[in-house]
Amino acid sequence: MVDETVPDQPVVEYPETVAELTIRLRDGGYLADRGLATSLLVSLSLRRPLLLEGEVGVGKTEVAKVLAAVFGRRLIRLQCYEGITASQALYEWDYARQMLQIRALSQAEATDEGSVDKLFGPKFLLERPLLEAVRQGDRAVLLIDEVDRADDEFEAFLLEVLSDFQISIPELGTVKADTSPVVILTSNRTRELHDALRRRCLYHWIGYPAEAREAEIVAVREPGAAEQLTRKVVRAVQRLRELDMAKPPGVAETIDWVRTLGVLGETELTEEAADDTLGAVVKDRDDLDLVRENLAEIVSGG
Amino acid sequence: MAEPAGQSGVSDPFTGVLVGFARELRAAGLTVGTGDVLTYFAAMTPLDPTDLVDLYWAGRAALVTRHEDQAVYDQVFRAYFLGADAPAQSRLPLTPWSVAEAEAALVMPGTEPGPEQDAERPVLGWMASGTDALKHRSFAACTPDELAALRRIMTRMRLTPPRRRTRRTRAASAARGTEPDLRATIRASMRMHGEPPGRLYFRERKTRLRPLILILDVSGSMADYSRHLLQFAHSARHAAVHVTTRGPAPRGSRSSVEVFCFGTRLTRITRELAHQRVDAALEEAARTVVDWDGGTRIGQSLDTFVRKWARGGLCRGGVVVICSDGLDRGDPEVLAQAMERLGRLCHRIVWLNPHKGDNRDFRPSTLGMMVAAPHIDLLLSGHDLASLEELAATLPTLN
Repeated sequence: MVDETVPDQPVVEYPETVAELTIRLRDGGYLADRGLATSLLVSLSLRRPLLLEGEVGVGKTEVAKVLAAVFGRRLIRLQCYEGITASQALYEWDYARQMLQIRALSQAEATDEGSVDKLFGPKFLLERPLLEAVRQGDRAVLLIDEVDRADDEFEAFLLEVLSDFQISIPELGTVKADTSPVVILTSNRTRELHDALRRRCLYHWIGYPAEAREAEIVAVREPGAAEQLTRKVVRAVQRLRELDMAKPPGVAETIDWVRTLGVLGETELTEEAADDTLGAVVKDRDDLDLVRENLAEIVSGG
Repeated sequence: MAEPAGQSGVSDPFTGVLVGFARELRAAGLTVGTGDVLTYFAAMTPLDPTDLVDLYWAGRAALVTRHEDQAVYDQVFRAYFLGADAPAQSRLPLTPWSVAEAEAALVMPGTEPGPEQDAERPVLGWMASGTDALKHRSFAACTPDELAALRRIMTRMRLTPPRRRTRRTRAASAARGTEPDLRATIRASMRMHGEPPGRLYFRERKTRLRPLILILDVSGSMADYSRHLLQFAHSARHAAVHVTTRGPAPRGSRSSVEVFCFGTRLTRITRELAHQRVDAALEEAARTVVDWDGGTRIGQSLDTFVRKWARGGLCRGGVVVICSDGLDRGDPEVLAQAMERLGRLCHRIVWLNPHKGDNRDFRPSTLGMMVAAPHIDLLLSGHDLASLEELAATLPTLN
């Protein structure tokens, strides 16, 4: 729920063309296709939140991370979960510190108006992701991850914040972003999002990449992997997706598999090696049985 | 043609063409608001408005809000910008591309269509498949008096799923509270200039209704019952909503209700049943369910449900109510596996089998029922109103 990266490079202006954005993202290790790059560019230039949906493990969260890293923004991540409340997303007073402060005050100071006001000053305010993002404005990329996991009341609240990037703290006043931050929302479609939230956002669906692109992605993410091995693994994963699996492997799984094989020093995707490392790609028992039955066919060829 | 004024960077022919495109999309059933069209215009500003690929992607980001609508969008886009007598071609100075080139470019982008896209097409009314019994069945077959009476009684029914504890907490007495409430305690302390308050404040975990999922068999063998069941589903859905919209609802009284239908394939009708008026909602649902009174493939339908919805978390911790007679024409193996998986993904499975009737010692005789039986937590009949009331009464106790 807290920011993850501290920018190690200066803030860079967002690019103005799709081609430039694609190149910058590629430098950051993310291969965006034309559709995603266009959506991102529009989102950046209109400052509309971008809602990303797609299968599990196709790099929805990664988009925000790379965007922040490449353009020197601070990534502020709000991980949604069932029962998340406004105070967990906005701000909270640091009660323990306030308590200590009160104990430290002398009798005379305690009755003084000013010292009470200080108790509700910025010093005692714990910033949570949304407030932090509003304060940071354009210096931040706000990632609202797995918004479908939050309850719909929270969604309504989110809508309010996303529409004018303004947060009122009764004790302190209103905090408003001078320029709104870039906002990326991701959803795994475990729950239908409200139309109002969808309307507020631009929308993009990320599907599984085609074989050639997936091989490219793996090559970018795992530069050490042998090309031959990568190609075979990608082909095998593409075949796995054609199987009637309960949880088809995502791109993240492909990368994991290549990495696992690399760690084991395999240079070839043999049936044996695949069988040993299947746990990296197939994560359901029923699926394992299904895949083991067809393993020879999946691994062969290519 | 309404022309939004002052859209910078987009010259007049574009305005007409883009507005026309939005109109076509609306005609094809997408909800495209004026605000969305304005976003589309604004989106084209940093892009090249004569580039078809830019037009395509910007429109998809701005005008489409759900994955299911993408197939329709693609179709309309193709017809509007690339078709033989496409309205856009005559009016727009598009980058001189051959249609074939543009087609290739539009297919190319990395967003490969997911497998479900095809499955959803018929639901959207784009393709008529000759294999299933694609019939629009009217509910009119039931006598109006009967329907009215049923409706009156059903709307009074409340389906209250059992409750579960949530992460959220609320203030509670010291006797009931489970965790100390630091916030309230400090507040009280501050009121006394930092002296420790006389008592600790507590909080307890809130409870919430579990989600309720109704899966109704609308195949031929269930024809006599499915009409009632659908109506029941409608009132169940609205009963859950009513509690929150009318009167002071106790907190946590809102339950999400999802409704699915199946014959030879599974259709989600939650949205169709959202209509307040029963008739309109049922008509809408009947239009969506394409395999009315056809054959039954319970196993396959439940398998689809598990894969597409349950695994995503739709029924996690919820109560699944399946209404079917268990006459399955598919592979029992598939049904057994789907039921087993479903059992692991939800909290409880209730099966309503109208053939059970009032018979207390009912033994499942159909193969489907026998296969499914080990995974069912509660078997009820659901063949008449009394049995539906029994369901409503038993539901809250399923914890």
